[in-house]
Amino acid sequence: MPREAEISLVERDFIQKALEEGVRLDGRDFNAFRPVELTFGDEFGVADVQLGKTRVIVRVSVDVAVPPPERKFDGVFQIITEFSPMASPAFEVGRPTDAEVILSRVLEKAIRRSNALDTESLCIIAGLKCFALRADVHVVDHDGGLIDASCIAVMAALQHFRRPDVIVEGEKAIVLSAREREPIPLSILHQPLSVTFSYYEEGNIFLVDADLAEEQVRQGEIIVTMNRHGEICQINKYGGAPVDPLDLLNLNNIALQKVKDMSKFIQQKLDEDAKRRDAGGLMAELSAENAR
Amino acid sequence: MAPEAILSHLHRADGSATYTHNGYCIIGAVNGPIEVQRRDELPEEATVEVNVRPAVGVGSPKERHLETLLHNTLRSIILTSSIPRTLVQITLQVRSLPEEEADCGIDSSLAILPHLLHTSLLALLSASIPLSTVLTAALVAIPSVSSSPLISPTANQLLRAKPIRSAHVFAFSGEGKLLLNESDGVFSLQEWDEAAEAAEEVCCKEEGGVGLGEGMEVDGKEGDNLDAWLREVVMDKVKWETRWRGAK
Amino acid sequence: MATSVTVVLPGDEVPKSSLPTPTGKKKTLTLGPGLRHIPPDTITATIAGALTTDNKKNAIWIDTNSGRYIPTAGDLVIATVQNSVAENFNCLLTPNTPYASLPHLAFEGATRKTRPVLAPNSLVYARVVSGGKHTSPEITCVDPSTGKSEGLGPLKGGMIFKVSLGMARRLLLKSKGEVIILELIGAKVGFEITVGRNGIVHVDGANVKTILAVGKALQEVDEQALGEKGQKKLAERVLKSL
Repeated sequence: MPREAEISLVERDFIQKALEEGVRLDGRDFNAFRPVELTFGDEFGVADVQLGKTRVIVRVSVDVAVPPPERKFDGVFQIITEFSPMASPAFEVGRPTDAEVILSRVLEKAIRRSNALDTESLCIIAGLKCFALRADVHVVDHDGGLIDASCIAVMAALQHFRRPDVIVEGEKAIVLSAREREPIPLSILHQPLSVTFSYYEEGNIFLVDADLAEEQVRQGEIIVTMNRHGEICQINKYGGAPVDPLDLLNLNNIALQKVKDMSKFIQQKLDEDAKRRDAGGLMAELSAENAR
Repeated sequence: MAPEAILSHLHRADGSATYTHNGYCIIGAVNGPIEVQRRDELPEEATVEVNVRPAVGVGSPKERHLETLLHNTLRSIILTSSIPRTLVQITLQVRSLPEEEADCGIDSSLAILPHLLHTSLLALLSASIPLSTVLTAALVAIPSVSSSPLISPTANQLLRAKPIRSAHVFAFSGEGKLLLNESDGVFSLQEWDEAAEAAEEVCCKEEGGVGLGEGMEVDGKEGDNLDAWLREVVMDKVKWETRWRGAK
Repeated sequence: MATSVTVVLPGDEVPKSSLPTPTGKKKTLTLGPGLRHIPPDTITATIAGALTTDNKKNAIWIDTNSGRYIPTAGDLVIATVQNSVAENFNCLLTPNTPYASLPHLAFEGATRKTRPVLAPNSLVYARVVSGGKHTSPEITCVDPSTGKSEGLGPLKGGMIFKVSLGMARRLLLKSKGEVIILELIGAKVGFEITVGRNGIVHVDGANVKTILAVGKALQEVDEQALGEKGQKKLAERVLKSL
């Protein structure tokens, strides 16, 4: 079975020595993200996030389905993560690695179970028809920080997505295409984002957004997910060396600042995209017709 | 419109390409030659693995079918005997499809096939995997009403020309030999001949071919065909790689 | 600027006119990477790139800067030791490739009694002995004719930096590679550099800052294809920061 090559001793020693001296390999501050780039596709619901050399593409799509019998008034929302050999030959199709399992669990807890998306709004006819929404996470290039990048991409794609409108007449529902009526944005309750801290030296050094080499050297990681109002959705520490509980409080403060900045960044990119789309005037025209 | 291509833009993969044409956007990555698993090892040649990943959802029989077609075609152009007991891993991620793709009236796996072939070829070139030749591919659709076949049509053109009686995909090697043909629908042998000829013209006719790049003529160039396009892409790659020679 | 380059695609036949005109003693034509000979006298390209010839050595090859490193006899590489089995160390030249074997005795002064001990994941600077396609590559840390290490052996301390294969080749070409940044920085600060053909550069110096500055500068020259002027500017900036 192919495995990710381990980092060499020389690199390990050097990264640790440099961190002791307060230097990161790329010259970043300990609490700094790599440069983030966010672009949207021509279609609604496609977000392409580049975090340094890491690149994640998320695509949100919708279908009509029967709601599960135990949740008649809810729609369906799934986040699907599957690594492909594109990001690294060590990723095998159909055999999830640990990183992949952790990523899908964190996204599940951070976004789906924190009710970021109002699934009730996806219901069309209770017990009979609902929208089934899915977010496909494609990891295209892997240089660490997958969780943070995926979280940004999923949230941005959800906010960018527009679902088709429906008309309900009794038991019958008609889904209207984009030409017939302007599609509507999803109802998003809050925007959780993750910040991953990697720690070294028994918890004396915490790094935000470690790259792959730094991830391979770290003693452990702590993933904090919160929204910009400072409401924590989840905190995760997968084993590793012990950390001082007081440090956790400190990390939350750092995370809040990062999440605020990132939310602002996403909003700014969404606004830019909306403006770009509006330039053609087609959407403006359509919405004017609908208003009448 | 000629296809757009960006080469070697991914950091981890040995070779990569993003290819955009007629509303299709595909990211391709190649790893190789790398270590092959014992069960897949071939003593005299390289193992070729093709993964096609759809934009939405996980792979279905349609992707498996495409993988088989690609595998057989690519294996015939990769010089597998020069890198024995290794693996060449090709991953193709569909990023976006044209909006009208679902209702353009032809089999969707046929419509995407030429684009997948081009993407994988570009990624293989980017990874410097030894090849015996290059390939170019084109889709030809024959509508029921009008007599002239549509060559490399956009989804929109197909939608307007509906109903389509038959659709054909042809792939040619650099020497102009037929590598792959997939046809669907009702057609006579004569129609198939015409379609094959039309595709050959777009793919590899040396001079005076009816080009895809009508847009190119504006720049004062001859009508380009796909072979010329491919040369241009490689030219750009070489220029990019050797730009340090002339740098200030 | 180089004069017009001939760009070839796989399957293209190399015309007789493009073959090198031998000026040296060597009469037989040498085919480099990316070319194959189809008997009786056809030479075709197998990869895409610029056709390059050397009249002195009567050689022709295709110049390209992409893809994975392919071990070739005589190349200097930086390998990562994975484990030790029987008489050999198993080493990786690039990730996810079959192991290259490094015999325990292929070190300077090594005997059956005094074998070198190398921990997993440590680095060695070695020369490729054979890179045949049917056998796994073999590397050595000793010059077989003299029995001396000639600079080869385990690498300790410092840091490694990844550069493109083309950049590694340029660095090993010395003055012809047009990389002057090392001399510019080296005039003021001392450091040690080891270049592996497999795209790895090892830098050792007095402190973390120097090592990082040199490594990053090399990567910048590589990525941005800096010319002489650009490299001078970069060197000034690097020296100022130290």
